Amino acid sequence: MAESTNQITYSVSDFIAVLNQTLDYAYPAVVIEGEVASFKVNQGKYVFFDLKDADGSINCFMTVWQLRLPIEDGMKVVVSATPKLTQWGKFSLTIKSIRPSGEGAIKKSYDILKAKLDKEGLFAPERKRLIPEIPTHIGVISSVQAAGYTDFIKILDDRWCGIKIDVANVQVQGASAPDQIIRAINYFNQLEVTPELIVITRGGGSADDLSAFNDEPLVRAIAASRIPTVVGVGHEVDETLADLAADVRASTPSHAAQLISPSRIELVRLNYQKVQSVIPRINYRIEKDLSIVRSIVVDMTDGMSRFIDNQTARLHIVRQTLNQLNPQTILNRGYAIIRGSVELGSLVEIETNKVILEAEVKNVINK
Amino acid sequence: MSSTNKTIQQKIEELNQMLAWFDSDDFSIEAAMEKYKLAEAQASEIESDLNGYKNEINVIKQRFDTEA
Repeated sequence: MAESTNQITYSVSDFIAVLNQTLDYAYPAVVIEGEVASFKVNQGKYVFFDLKDADGSINCFMTVWQLRLPIEDGMKVVVSATPKLTQWGKFSLTIKSIRPSGEGAIKKSYDILKAKLDKEGLFAPERKRLIPEIPTHIGVISSVQAAGYTDFIKILDDRWCGIKIDVANVQVQGASAPDQIIRAINYFNQLEVTPELIVITRGGGSADDLSAFNDEPLVRAIAASRIPTVVGVGHEVDETLADLAADVRASTPSHAAQLISPSRIELVRLNYQKVQSVIPRINYRIEKDLSIVRSIVVDMTDGMSRFIDNQTARLHIVRQTLNQLNPQTILNRGYAIIRGSVELGSLVEIETNKVILEAEVKNVINK
Repeated sequence: MSSTNKTIQQKIEELNQMLAWFDSDDFSIEAAMEKYKLAEAQASEIESDLNGYKNEINVIKQRFDTEA
């Protein structure tokens, strides 16, 4: 740099450096909203595009790793950037962060990323893991000031007890939210004793508020977590990519609490119901045993009855036989009994069924 | 609250095992009433535990707004 006649004469590179210092001082960071045009990625690393509105256009530069969401031409975005004059004298914005702005752009970016991650299988049902029926240790990632967190804890306290809840207090909206949530996920995953599941939750908000949960690195971190994840963000109608990547998707923070814990009231009722349900079973077993005893008694009675009938029948036959052999029966058939010596002139006694008489033997003929 | 160190889940499992006895071949009418009373006491203990315990909330001190 040289000084002559009160005027500073700069070399070109010095002037560029001084101008950049001035810009840095005056605009350490600017936030600008505009429409993306001429978007391109060079060498897979460097991103160039123009940010424009109806009356102006600025060149923008960033690295591909700073892209958290898909961006394409025509998309309305908000950038956080530092203005800079390059060594070739070209004015540009060095982008620190970029996000879609307005419902149309947010939706478009969301759809592109959803299709991409879906194609990679991040949302596939077969990737979903089961969560414990009754957890004893959970990690919660939320903002402890947020209403959604309060709702989650209240419902969890109402429903169940004895759970160790480790809370990672993070921002749940804004540019730094995704990275904070990712760090919290990594924190839980790196613990020596990990929680049984991670719950990521926040209450409702605008599409812009919830856009942190459509951040690509965050969605990937959720999918990569070795601890099963439950995501409950926004209201019933809201769908974020974080929801889709989670093992269990809850529609709200309260719903997340319901999904991960049984109801103690319901469990107590169920326990007593199960205990009561054995009474019919005991009665059934008693009835079954009684039935066996009754059956034995019936069998015994039947056996005795058959024995008596048999004996009665045999007795009857014996009685009939005896009756046939009874001399009186023979007399009744017209026969007679003769007592005495069968010799000529001797007296014999003759008994019929009606009379007994004496008779003299007058003739004996041998047969 | 129960003085034992068993978790609620363990106690629920025990209750389920007690109730399974009623469907098993080991069932006897002589032992049924005693087993029934034990199951009823177990259900009561679980209820007492559920009303006595609270969730333990610990907000992690580590900050997540910058790289650790």
